[in-house]
Amino acid sequence: MQPTQVDEIRSRIKRVISKITNIPAQEIADGASYIEDLGLDSLSALEVVIDVEFEFQFKVPESEVPEVRTVEDTVRLVERHLSFATV
Amino acid sequence: MRRRIVITGIGVVTSIGAGREVFWRNLLAGSSGISEIESFSTAGYRTRRGGEVKEFQAEDYVERLNPAGLGRASQFAIAAARLALEDASLSAGALAFEQAGVVVGTTSGEPQFVERFNDHYVKRELMRIGPELAMLYPCHVIAANVASELKFGGVNLMTPSACAAGNYAIAHAFDALRGGRAELMLAGGSDAFSRITFTGFSQLGAVAPERCQPFDRNRRGMIPGEGAGMLALEPLDRALARGARIYAEIAGYGLSCDAHHMTAAHAEGEGAARAMRQALAESDLLPEEVSYISAHGTGTPTNDRLETVAVKRVFDGAAYQIPISSIKSMLGHTMGAASAIEAAVCALAVFHDWIPPTINLETPDPECDLDYVPNQARRRRVEVAMNNAYAFGGANASLILRKRTWN
Amino acid sequence: MELKSRKVVITGAGVVSSLGDSPGALHSALCAGRSGARPIESFSAEGVGCPMGAAVEDFVPQSYLGDRNLRPLNRIAQLTAAAAQLALESSGWSDAMRREREVGLALGAMFCSVKTIAEFDRRALTAGPAYASPMDFANTVISAAAGQAAIWHNLRGVNSTIATGAASGLQAIAYAADLIRSGRATALLAGGAEEICFESVFGFYRAGLLCGSDPSSRGRANGHATFYSGYDKEGRHNGADHRDAGHFPIPFDARRNGFVLGEGAALLMLEDARTAAARGARALAEVRGHGGGFDCSRGWDTGHAVAAITRAMRQAMDDARLLPDEIDCLSASANGGVAGDRHEALAIEAVFGQREEPLPSTAIKSMLGEMLGASGGLQAVAMLETMRDGRLPGIRGLEQFDKDFPRHAISVCRQWRQLQRPRHALLNAVGFDGHCCSLALTARAEEF
Repeated sequence: MQPTQVDEIRSRIKRVISKITNIPAQEIADGASYIEDLGLDSLSALEVVIDVEFEFQFKVPESEVPEVRTVEDTVRLVERHLSFATV
Repeated sequence: MRRRIVITGIGVVTSIGAGREVFWRNLLAGSSGISEIESFSTAGYRTRRGGEVKEFQAEDYVERLNPAGLGRASQFAIAAARLALEDASLSAGALAFEQAGVVVGTTSGEPQFVERFNDHYVKRELMRIGPELAMLYPCHVIAANVASELKFGGVNLMTPSACAAGNYAIAHAFDALRGGRAELMLAGGSDAFSRITFTGFSQLGAVAPERCQPFDRNRRGMIPGEGAGMLALEPLDRALARGARIYAEIAGYGLSCDAHHMTAAHAEGEGAARAMRQALAESDLLPEEVSYISAHGTGTPTNDRLETVAVKRVFDGAAYQIPISSIKSMLGHTMGAASAIEAAVCALAVFHDWIPPTINLETPDPECDLDYVPNQARRRRVEVAMNNAYAFGGANASLILRKRTWN
Repeated sequence: MELKSRKVVITGAGVVSSLGDSPGALHSALCAGRSGARPIESFSAEGVGCPMGAAVEDFVPQSYLGDRNLRPLNRIAQLTAAAAQLALESSGWSDAMRREREVGLALGAMFCSVKTIAEFDRRALTAGPAYASPMDFANTVISAAAGQAAIWHNLRGVNSTIATGAASGLQAIAYAADLIRSGRATALLAGGAEEICFESVFGFYRAGLLCGSDPSSRGRANGHATFYSGYDKEGRHNGADHRDAGHFPIPFDARRNGFVLGEGAALLMLEDARTAAARGARALAEVRGHGGGFDCSRGWDTGHAVAAITRAMRQAMDDARLLPDEIDCLSASANGGVAGDRHEALAIEAVFGQREEPLPSTAIKSMLGEMLGASGGLQAVAMLETMRDGRLPGIRGLEQFDKDFPRHAISVCRQWRQLQRPRHALLNAVGFDGHCCSLALTARAEEF
């Protein structure tokens, strides 16, 4: 995947997080973890996953949901899904 | 000397039977009420099973009101209320109507009306929608419908404290009777199956695909269900005067709040422990005097583990000697009805000296190492039964019933 | 009724309403006859036009609740948490104190959030159940606002939601008072909250209960579909100026034709009088007693309806050990509803008709609208202010009386009045579905 595409994914994800956390997107670090760094409780973290799923129109397999802990995890996840989707 | 309050009638509508006798027989036999969901299409959902009440005909129970004008939760509540009154050998006109009251707990009210509203709304058919959302959906109609059906003009209240609602209702009825505001109270809970509730729990990742397996190592979650449970509560002196059958006495209750998280319990079970301790204190009982605990036991990995922690916190070593079972293994989670049906089960356990099992318990979990009465009902003298329930928003409610003593 | 030894006092209050977010601001507005009702702007829909509503405009939750992320809280939860913040400040219950002792919360709500549950379901319908919002789901349960407020403010005592329709808020105060009297709690926030939304407005308009609805559907509780003529963008109805009497609620007036929906949140801090005194708190008033009753005819039969409201008032006064002559003023539940207001008036006559002087009464829903779960709390906060300075708000727009309106029993007027040191007050809450609740408050003297 092209770096610019990855950047776009990252900024869309950060916009989703921003809506849920009220933290401005530009203040969300790439490596930020939802629970430890962004201070989300488990319900809000789950909301992030579902809103990201909605944003990119795919479903994270249930077994992978607990592994989505940081912004970067989420970017990788979406990247993987979109790569498979274009194959 | 505070008035003593006893349970003289039990009425239930469940996925394993309507009416006390059928229900209790099926419960002790370990019957499961979980089946393929029929009330809406489960295409698009990860799971397909729920604890729906099948073959329920409102016309069998609703005499005065028009069943077609009632939501399903109201229909269940009326059915359970009539069954409880009948079970108590009381007729609806047995006392001055302003002395008879109704308190019902629920999680959702009558959500089918929200669903119908939306079905039209998304098709831009607003003009086909009537006043249901204001007049038939709000949960207070449930208690109002029971009281209109039975012509009870006294206390009338809903305690919509979600998954602990039934205990809250019984607690309030207990207080109303002790305070002299009523001479007869019908108290319990009711909830109807809905796509809203099913969707919500699915999205929380909390729903098991096949079975509800509380305390089992491989438990995958809860299974949404529906139903109603109503208890007839009276002051002891009245019950004795009319020669009523007394199932159990209400010894006390405790309510607390975790103030921690909307959908997950406190990690150390602190709030749950406080509710249990308050109930024990009011009942003037030591932890080791409890003979049976009806667990909240939803079957989610977290609840069952945290509930075990909380029980050990209160009971210490004695926890290992006290059977604790979850009937949600059989009925699924009936939401606002759950703790009411579970309270009925506690009353029956005390009355019959039988303890219902936790079914589907196959693989022990090292973190849940208490005696959960696996798979087989057990005959055992039950002096005191504790009923625990925990709700969204961190509300905790513990209710204690005991054998009616002679002093 | 059992003899009770514990007194229940009110040591603080918090309010967020269409007429202000402090008891003082609310009281000034009510006495000035200002209405919180105006054409709603936050939503509109085909067929409903531009209905009137008494919304809390310019509500900025951060100004009460600080910078922490508020997204998990829906509007009603934010209103509730804001009112709780104000009540905790007003009564002096600091963070530190709440860590040491358990403060409870008893919240009255009719819908809690019908908007959130409807939106949750709509997203599932349109996007598919796999994309429904878990955060919204947590807020669909009727006890959600109480749970959210408890988390926000560390309220670890009893957490209870009470739903009895439009009587919910007053009933929650009664419920909380009893918890204190029976020794189960020593401090509880009690009152109610409700938010205004398209779903609730639409439902009541279809029931023909809102002001300005088609007259042929008036008073039909489980009414048929009605056609609401709708307002234009200027808030005019059928060409008439929105200040026309037909589109504002006028409780007890012969021309009344329904109510206007309102929203808000109001919470009182209730405490055991002794523990309150021990911590040096000032008592604003005492919750002296309460009563209730249920009308099995659900408002359809005048005799039953009047009898239920009468029972509630008598029971409250018995519980408070007060005679009808000792009540100085009354806050009616009357909201402009055609049948409901009449039932309440007849009940007041039944209870107070033998007094030498008619009972000075008010109906603040004439200005705040029918706030459903929040109404009882607002009535209580307004009454605390009346007890403080003796001013009883008038009933905005009141001019004409029905022939059978019992003027010998009830004294109401359009303007505010100065009462001589009101000591005992009665508050009524009458729901659309038969629920009746009455609360007796007594002003506190300077000393405990």
